[in-house]
Amino acid sequence: MTTQTMSRRQGGGYLERPAPSGLADVVEMILDKGIVIDAYVRVSLVGIELLTIDARIVIASVDTYLRFAEATNRLDLVENGGGKPLDEFLGDMQQSGASRKVKGAVSGVKSALTSGKEKDDDEDEGSRRPARKAPARRGSSDE
Amino acid sequence: MTVSTVASASRAEDDRGEVARGCFVYAVVRAGMPEARDAPAGLDDVPLRLVVEGDVAAVVNDVLLDRPPGRRADLMAYQRVLDHLAAQGPVVPVQFGSMLLDDDDVRDGVLGPDEPRLVALLDDLEGRSQYQLRATYVPGVPLTEILSLDPTVAALREQTKDRSELESHADRVELGRRVAAAMEDLRAFDADVLLDAVLPFVVDHVIVLGTDLEGLATFSLLVDDERVAELEAQLEELAEAVHERIRLALTGPSAPFDFVGGA
Repeated sequence: MTTQTMSRRQGGGYLERPAPSGLADVVEMILDKGIVIDAYVRVSLVGIELLTIDARIVIASVDTYLRFAEATNRLDLVENGGGKPLDEFLGDMQQSGASRKVKGAVSGVKSALTSGKEKDDDEDEGSRRPARKAPARRGSSDE
Repeated sequence: MTVSTVASASRAEDDRGEVARGCFVYAVVRAGMPEARDAPAGLDDVPLRLVVEGDVAAVVNDVLLDRPPGRRADLMAYQRVLDHLAAQGPVVPVQFGSMLLDDDDVRDGVLGPDEPRLVALLDDLEGRSQYQLRATYVPGVPLTEILSLDPTVAALREQTKDRSELESHADRVELGRRVAAAMEDLRAFDADVLLDAVLPFVVDHVIVLGTDLEGLATFSLLVDDERVAELEAQLEELAEAVHERIRLALTGPSAPFDFVGGA
């Protein structure tokens, strides 16, 4: 297994098990959740209503689009920094079939999950292979 | 009416120069749940109390009505209390920030009228907990995939990247719109696959799809306690299978915030 793969591992597994600690985590998990008490019985606690509003940050779509566009434009800087012009990078990806990576990875997931128990015979039982090997398997089924 | 009587009583207190107090309500538990008394302190480090009505009890503490907001600490205290309660037994969270004037209001406005429904909810949640599965894309992966799959997006990027924001504004908006739409498709597709993998192990689920470039989706999962180990094993396998594109993080157990029919 490569070192890059190893570095992703946390506590011996790929599934991270963080404790929800940040305010953002807690806000996402609990705000606006739970049973609601009739408004006429409630009294307001200064600050709490404000927090509810603060947490619902809605960004206008055009701003979002511009941010996405900027990120897309920034992406090639990263790739160029990696030593390859983007065109070449994309060419490599297409040649290697990585442009179909989405479906490849997904079918990899499905086969890993559905065939993991009964249909692992065609692979070494001992060494589970990560999804990036999946396109090869998928490719053979295409032919 | 009860409410106005109580309200005027508290105003009278104000007139006497005393500070009015309210009842901060955290959750509803079974009336016979003694462990609730051992819970950590609530807001403002004030000990928790139980307000009992029939078979159910509200977990509350007294809070000065003119206290400073202290938002973060309040939220954290609320979560701490709910975490503790959830570890003891079934718990129905009450929406954060719910303040009533006194115990009578808690009985008359929260517990009494809804007692049968609350008992049914508590029965239903017995032996179950909520887990949050957060799926995020490995940074750069979705954009790289979209650029390689959509020639229009790639062309728009070429057209905009070396021009000023001002002169390429329309193209940039179009580029961003297309990327946003492609991200939505990608998230929906990937979320379906992830959901299929966990569905056999959960009682109920709520999905919130991501909105930014790395957020895929957050799945709230209601899980039977005895199936948690299976779910974790399945998720570990799933996380390994997708790790080059997607990261999976599981938190919990927590109180069943998403499964009590609120909001």
